Amino acid sequence: MKNLAIATGNLSKSYGSKLALDALSLEVAAGEVFGLLGHNGAGKTTTVNVLTTLLEPTHGNAEVAGHSVTADAMAVRRAIGYLPENVQFYDSLTLMENLRFFAQLSGLSRPDQRIGDVLRILDFEGQERQRLGSFSKGMRQRVGIAQAILHSPSVLFLDEPTSGLDPEGVRTLRETIVRLNSEFGMTIFMNTHLLSEVTKTCTSIGILRGGKLVHQDTLAQTLADFPGEDSLEQIYFQLESEQVS
Amino acid sequence: MNSTWTIAQKELLDLRRDRLFGILIIFLAVATLISVGVAAASFRTELDAYNLYVQQLSASGSATVPAAPLLFPLQLLRGGVEYLEILGALFAIVLGYGTVAKEKYRGTLQLLLSRPVGRFAIPAGKVLGLAVVWLVVVALLTVMTTAAILVIGNAPLQGIDIARILIAALIAWVYLVFWSSLAIGVTALSHRLSTGLIVSIVVWLAFVLIIPQIGDTMDPDNQVPGGLFATLNILKADELKVLANFAGFDGIRNGIEVSSVTKHFERLSFAFLGVKDKYNQLPIGLVWLDMWGYAITLAAATLASVTFAVGVTSRRNLQRKIS
Repeated sequence: MKNLAIATGNLSKSYGSKLALDALSLEVAAGEVFGLLGHNGAGKTTTVNVLTTLLEPTHGNAEVAGHSVTADAMAVRRAIGYLPENVQFYDSLTLMENLRFFAQLSGLSRPDQRIGDVLRILDFEGQERQRLGSFSKGMRQRVGIAQAILHSPSVLFLDEPTSGLDPEGVRTLRETIVRLNSEFGMTIFMNTHLLSEVTKTCTSIGILRGGKLVHQDTLAQTLADFPGEDSLEQIYFQLESEQVS
Repeated sequence: MNSTWTIAQKELLDLRRDRLFGILIIFLAVATLISVGVAAASFRTELDAYNLYVQQLSASGSATVPAAPLLFPLQLLRGGVEYLEILGALFAIVLGYGTVAKEKYRGTLQLLLSRPVGRFAIPAGKVLGLAVVWLVVVALLTVMTTAAILVIGNAPLQGIDIARILIAALIAWVYLVFWSSLAIGVTALSHRLSTGLIVSIVVWLAFVLIIPQIGDTMDPDNQVPGGLFATLNILKADELKVLANFAGFDGIRNGIEVSSVTKHFERLSFAFLGVKDKYNQLPIGLVWLDMWGYAITLAAATLASVTFAVGVTSRRNLQRKIS
């Protein structure tokens, strides 16, 4: 039996009359790097927001790290790390002050040692006293990862982590994600538009369309199931068009 | 409590480096200092004139000592109290609004809400942070204005005067926490952040300017500069007899005034500082005996405001600002 990090059953979310998530049922095994793909408005961010307890589902259920997002939201928050799209920080505070704040909120009473370790992992040594207002977009994304992993979460949610990054920033972030998964065993749930990144990073994928999950499998199996297609991009568009027809 | 204090500390650090906050507080401090400073300078001029007059009389061989002018140093703080009453309340609203709005504008709300913090930790942390800020600001203003009375006014202050100043400072702190908490709650409750600011300012306008102004306008003694009864040379005993015929009218006027929390702050401060003649030089115990009702209503209003802020700044209301 698979050890599941994330499991949802008939999960729905409506904003007024608009159905953003339609009976989503997906499973992500522990230790996977899962990529959730879909066009703009497909429901990717809503999925992450529900799984991170930022939004309450309208129907259905979801469990993250073995805890229900509705019945035991606090336990979910303790178990996860989260990097929102276009992450922002307290720019008047230094890198250290920002990280100390988030670490303390995550329950670390003496966080400086752990912050030091995380800063080393993410290559931020010597920049602890810099204010975040002076950081580039790529650096801020890495700070976003840093704040998300301070409390050693078992599941890490990344919402469009490469959005707005230059190629160097994308590569650095990709390497970080792979390292967090392979060295620290974190399950990573990632929303993204960049299919090329998915092939280099993810072990399994899901495709959302209009709030519905239209495909979910391991990346290897997905590629094997479409021998005629050269790339994930072609598979993605074929799956999309199948649903349309 | 840990998360609450962590959030409060972040608010303090953030505000310490906030340029707008710095400008507002410097403006408030300068305005208050100028007001008290000018009054203190005038006080000193009168005192010096009297002392010079006594000196000249003495030099001319006269044994008569003229009565000293009625100068009361604590009354010099009146302008400072009025600045806190109006500007302080407005700035408290701006800070209360800002502490919620900035989380949304900066995009830090999601990070905050994804943390395992208790139901009341975020609003309680913000209220606590601003309460500490106002404690520091009021303490600084108290030290500055007291120093102005001593240095510029050259006025002697007794221990009991310091006690009265400290009581007035405590009253000011409670009053400012009321306004900041109200703005936090209203902003969290409003669907749009701008609505929160506008509603808070409308409440400020009603409580700080309109209601007290209606009360002042209805006061017959305010119809003539210098006071109606004084202008007509009517003695206090006769004034009271005249006003006894308008008890119903005065009851309504007073009722309108005391419906404003600002009037409670003003009456309490003026009573303890002796700005109001009725309470000038009255022992603190007797002032308290007469004003305890105002003290309780001001404290209750602030407690209600804090409870409102903590109660309505719920996760759900904050989440609504993300989606």
